[in-house]
Amino acid sequence: MTQRQPGATLAEPGTDRLSRPVLEVTDLAVSFDNSAGGPRVQAVNGASMALYPQQTLAVVGESGCGKSVTAMSTMQLIARPPGRFDRGSILFEGRDICTLEERDMLSIRGGKIAMIFQEPMTSLNPVYTIGDQLLEAILLHQRVGPEEARGIAVQAMRDVGIRKPEERLGMYPHQFSGGMRQRVMIAMALACRPKVLLADEPTTALDVTIQAQILELLRELQRDRDMGIMLITHNLGVVAENADVVCVMYAGRVVEVANVFELFDEPLHPYTRGLFRSIPMLREAKHRLVTIRDVTDEPAEFRRLPGAVPWWPDMPQGARPALAAGRDEHVLVEVRPDRWVACWRTPELEARPHRRPNLAFRRGDR
Amino acid sequence: MPDAPIGHAPQAISGVDAMRGVGAVQAKGFWEDAWARVLARPGAVFGLSWIAVIAFFAVFAPLIANAHPVTLVTDRGREWPLLEHLAPADWLLLAGAVLGTPWVFLGPRRLKRSQRLGVLVACGLQAAATVVLSAAVVAWADDADRAAWVKDSIRAPWGIPSAVAAVALVFAAVAAWVPSVECRRVRLGAAGLTAALAFLACSFAGRTALVNFERYLEDERSGAIREVVWAPVPWSPQYTRSDMVAQAPGTRVADVPSLSAYADTAFGARRLLLGSDALGGDVLSQMLWACRLSISIGIVSTGISVAIGITMGALMGYFGGKVDLFLFRIVEIFMAVPVLFLLIVAAGVLPRNTYVMMAIIGCFSWTGAARFTRAEFLKLRGQDFVQAARANGLPVSKILFRHMLPNGITPVLVDASFAVAAAITVEATLSYLGLGPDGQASWGKLLSSATAATGTFVWWLAVFPGAAIFLSVLSYNLLGEAMRDAIDPKLRKAAH
Amino acid sequence: MISYLLRRLAFMVPTVLGITLMVFMLLALAPGGIGAGLAGSAGQLSDTSKVAQMQAYFEDRYGLNDPVIVQYARWLGRISPVKFGERDLRTPSGERVAPPRAIDDPPLAEAFPAPTAEVAAAPYAPPAGEQLVPEFKKLQREAEGARRDYIGSVRQFRDALAEWAKQQGPSMAGRLDSKGSARTEDFRGVEFPPDSPGYAKLAAAAAAMRAKWFRASAARERALAAFRAGPYPKSGIPLLPGLVSLDTPDLGVAFSKNRPVADLIAAALPVTLLINLIAFPISYLVAVPTGILASVRRGGWLDVGSGFLFLGLYSVPTVLAGVFAIGFLANRQYLGWFPVSGLHDSAAASMTFLPHTDAAGLWHRGYLLDTAWHVALPVLCLVYASFAVLSKQTRASMLDNFSADYVRTAKAKGVPRKDVVMRHVFRNSLLPLITMFVGVFPAMLAGSVVIERIFTVPGMGSLILEAIDLRDREIILANTFMVACVNLLALLLADILYAAADPRVSFNRA
Repeated sequence: MTQRQPGATLAEPGTDRLSRPVLEVTDLAVSFDNSAGGPRVQAVNGASMALYPQQTLAVVGESGCGKSVTAMSTMQLIARPPGRFDRGSILFEGRDICTLEERDMLSIRGGKIAMIFQEPMTSLNPVYTIGDQLLEAILLHQRVGPEEARGIAVQAMRDVGIRKPEERLGMYPHQFSGGMRQRVMIAMALACRPKVLLADEPTTALDVTIQAQILELLRELQRDRDMGIMLITHNLGVVAENADVVCVMYAGRVVEVANVFELFDEPLHPYTRGLFRSIPMLREAKHRLVTIRDVTDEPAEFRRLPGAVPWWPDMPQGARPALAAGRDEHVLVEVRPDRWVACWRTPELEARPHRRPNLAFRRGDR
Repeated sequence: MPDAPIGHAPQAISGVDAMRGVGAVQAKGFWEDAWARVLARPGAVFGLSWIAVIAFFAVFAPLIANAHPVTLVTDRGREWPLLEHLAPADWLLLAGAVLGTPWVFLGPRRLKRSQRLGVLVACGLQAAATVVLSAAVVAWADDADRAAWVKDSIRAPWGIPSAVAAVALVFAAVAAWVPSVECRRVRLGAAGLTAALAFLACSFAGRTALVNFERYLEDERSGAIREVVWAPVPWSPQYTRSDMVAQAPGTRVADVPSLSAYADTAFGARRLLLGSDALGGDVLSQMLWACRLSISIGIVSTGISVAIGITMGALMGYFGGKVDLFLFRIVEIFMAVPVLFLLIVAAGVLPRNTYVMMAIIGCFSWTGAARFTRAEFLKLRGQDFVQAARANGLPVSKILFRHMLPNGITPVLVDASFAVAAAITVEATLSYLGLGPDGQASWGKLLSSATAATGTFVWWLAVFPGAAIFLSVLSYNLLGEAMRDAIDPKLRKAAH
Repeated sequence: MISYLLRRLAFMVPTVLGITLMVFMLLALAPGGIGAGLAGSAGQLSDTSKVAQMQAYFEDRYGLNDPVIVQYARWLGRISPVKFGERDLRTPSGERVAPPRAIDDPPLAEAFPAPTAEVAAAPYAPPAGEQLVPEFKKLQREAEGARRDYIGSVRQFRDALAEWAKQQGPSMAGRLDSKGSARTEDFRGVEFPPDSPGYAKLAAAAAAMRAKWFRASAARERALAAFRAGPYPKSGIPLLPGLVSLDTPDLGVAFSKNRPVADLIAAALPVTLLINLIAFPISYLVAVPTGILASVRRGGWLDVGSGFLFLGLYSVPTVLAGVFAIGFLANRQYLGWFPVSGLHDSAAASMTFLPHTDAAGLWHRGYLLDTAWHVALPVLCLVYASFAVLSKQTRASMLDNFSADYVRTAKAKGVPRKDVVMRHVFRNSLLPLITMFVGVFPAMLAGSVVIERIFTVPGMGSLILEAIDLRDREIILANTFMVACVNLLALLLADILYAAADPRVSFNRA
């Protein structure tokens, strides 16, 4: 799929629109200066993923695994310094975002790729009205007059289920509840009809009923607008209900990619298994909750994948298989059709043909 | 969980590692860490060095700049006029510097340096209190209004020593009781030694009020002096000659037209290194002696304002409610009128002496410290460790001073350095306006004589004291800036 | 909004009371007390008993012999816009005329036989019409003169009393105070036996005092009658007729200059405000943009350079800057570019407002430029210190906001960096800058006291320094009062601006 045919779009717009990834992250590596004076922090280290229109790609992993940095890199919102792009590319509409001029990026950011953040309480500027902030985004990216922009803003508010939008536009953020503010954030992000929405834990700060409403809302809007959503979360329940494809990250690397059903049926990487087993189950009486580490500290877990040893940074030197010479000790292997798992880069794996994770899967229940 | 291999520092660590603390630097104590950060800044080092220079001259000014000879031999034998004329405070300062410096830097290892410094500060306070109060007691008893037996007993040979001894004992008891340092033996020893030194100094140091400097010149001229050793700067601030007014820096005494009679004497060969002022006093000696005022006024008045401010702020922040409402009105009063304005009024109508000036600067500038402390205490009040202390039934004083104060004091301490700078500025301003302490060498006073009423401008009276004031204020500001950057966690976070 | 303003104004009252009470107490604490300056002015008279009488008269006139708290209450009564009792009159020239003051009974009157010649004064009917004003003025003068005589005689009586007591031996001499003078209160209930030594002199003094009291009260009665006849219109607005009225605050009469303090302040306050109102925008206009640029290019040369420069400037005390400016820039010995003192040239009154060239081709700088030329150095000395405070605050709050979540949101919307900085970061950083007003304005006002002294500018600062030298309580108190009011209004303005800038703050909830 990395091969691109520019003419194809004209020939068959309907199907082609959905059969090409809208965003493609390839071997991305981002690092930061350490403020405490220690070594550089390699936040993302060779992550690859692809996002299709109408697809929800869930990126999961514990805090610090690099999922937010990946999203922020896509928006080019990483401050440089202290941040630095070490290698890799982020392709959007055939252009590498990492090499774009700031001027070109401005039209993409907010216009074609939008992002909503985790903290609805503080993500709106307290001194401007909701209307000001919505109109700012609309006027920046769409060639419309103020009246028309207002119409768009009202519609965007209505789309996200805010009642009496005309009235609400004149209100300030502090007059809104957390859930309402997040709806405003979503309205703001969607007002310009972006191709890609990066949702960085959009519901973590909200209570459960609001969470469900907002995710439902996102799903509807996604279908209407052919939008690809990168859903960053560590809530596996949210993933199970909303994601099409899941990308599990650990320590700046992608450790497993699969469609949501296969992954939940049979997680292949020990870390993924640990992630799932750490969720408390209602009917299981346990002395103590299982941690991810309980699973990854078990050597047997690493032998369950025939033909390869799953990559794991904490594996003692002796337990690691003999590695192939090369830049990286880590390789993402398509162990089964459309299933990718991070493995140690052994000579036999090196010899196999490689395909970067790329799944156009969309769940059928919608 | 296996740690990152020791001895093999990774080139870069992953975000997950960083979350686990891999690559973090071993933490030092909070103050130690902050102090190291302060010392890492050249500005702060410059500031500390300049303050050290000022402090050195403040202590040793009587030995360096003095119009009394160190020693001289006449027909009456050998005399030590300089030492005889040292005041009790001079002796105590010298003793404090000579004994205190090795104590702080080479004292017993089981005490931390900060603790040893604390002991020295406590001794200083004790000595100062003894000196001030015994002088006050003696002056009171010697007053014409007192009953005859009081006057007679203080004028008896044992009168002053016994009065001083009583005062010294009282303060020694207080100092021994106040827990300045954990170790009891150190505390008692320090309090006892300080009381003994203060007693000796106050009872037996020179009390000659009238000083005749001309005596030495006459003796020198008449040849009565056989041998004499002068201080490095043979001038005192009090030594003014009306025939030596406003001489430029570097002038030789004999070159002053009205003093040509001294052409062949040792006096005539002296130089006025930084010139002389409008009253005919040597500028350099005044500059050196004024270091005392600069150091003491800054530190003492800030000490007073911090003490008042912390107390008020702690009360407001801890109790809140009505106490807060009432006390904050008082703070507001001080916010509504410029403090300098009040200081000018107060300094204008109250007696012109150093202690009054320290007191009024301290009493009128505590609101900043109070506001900082209040804000911190309001924050701390709701925190778990304070709630826990309260739940455990600790008395309010313990909660306030043991648990909350060490956590809430940081911004006040950072601000204190700026407050010292401000106090020095205020002193210079008041002295310039003619409202400064009488009979005290002061940079501000020198500065004020630079622009004479006649409209002439005497540059050396502006440049030298001006530079000293500027450097002192700058030093404290640089130090404060460095401390703020080192300690303020918000700024530190933003500074990555 | 209106109720908020009223509430705020009401809250200012205790603050102003607190400040003035504090200053009042401070003045009372001063050695020699509040009247110390008066003794000096009376001291030019050669005769010591005359000096004592003069002093007694001054003490009576300004009420200095009452307890401090009574004096303060009286001062408050004058300053308060709500007046109790009889309303003052106001002359056509705006001067305030108070009713003639009541006269206390002569001390120890009961202990001495009453003079036989005392007859009730004839009832007095003030003339009507045009005669009234000159008559009232005459009566006023008479009443004042008679009172002065009476007060002097009280003083003489006290001296006689002291002398008498000393002649009676220790039992009576013990009632004298430490300076050997007699307080009449301490002799209440004492028997004065007519055969005691020195009695004749004492009784004569008492009789003279009594006679003078009689004359003074009669004169006062007449003056009061004329006052009540209404030579001038009444001042203020009555609330409860005869009891409560509203009037403008009365700032009193300066001891030292014998002029109403309000006039002195009316002349001085505009000068101080002029300098401050020029300086204030300058300091913001320099410091705020520097702070913004420093925060945008953090760690760049501008950031580091302005940090160093401003901290250096901040460390220069105003007096130092003033002395250097006057010495090197203004003094003719050196550069002599600027005038040394004053606010205008001596010929300023005859200048045109704008610069112009006259018929002979000579250029005249005019009033405006002349003023600018004169205030340049004072303003310079006033502004430089606030650069550091303001620019540092700007920079710090800008940096705070740069890392705020809503700035990230703005960036994610695709807002160009320039707009992010100005519309989002700076707009939000304005709030602490408005609060800075609270610190900078008082500092400038205080700084101008010093600057006015250095540059001999006739503003509030010069006025108060002069008043302190002369211990003129009225000027000091009125000055404190005015400064506090100006300052509190400035703080109120800052709060209103804050509320206007921050939608989260609303007047109704504050």
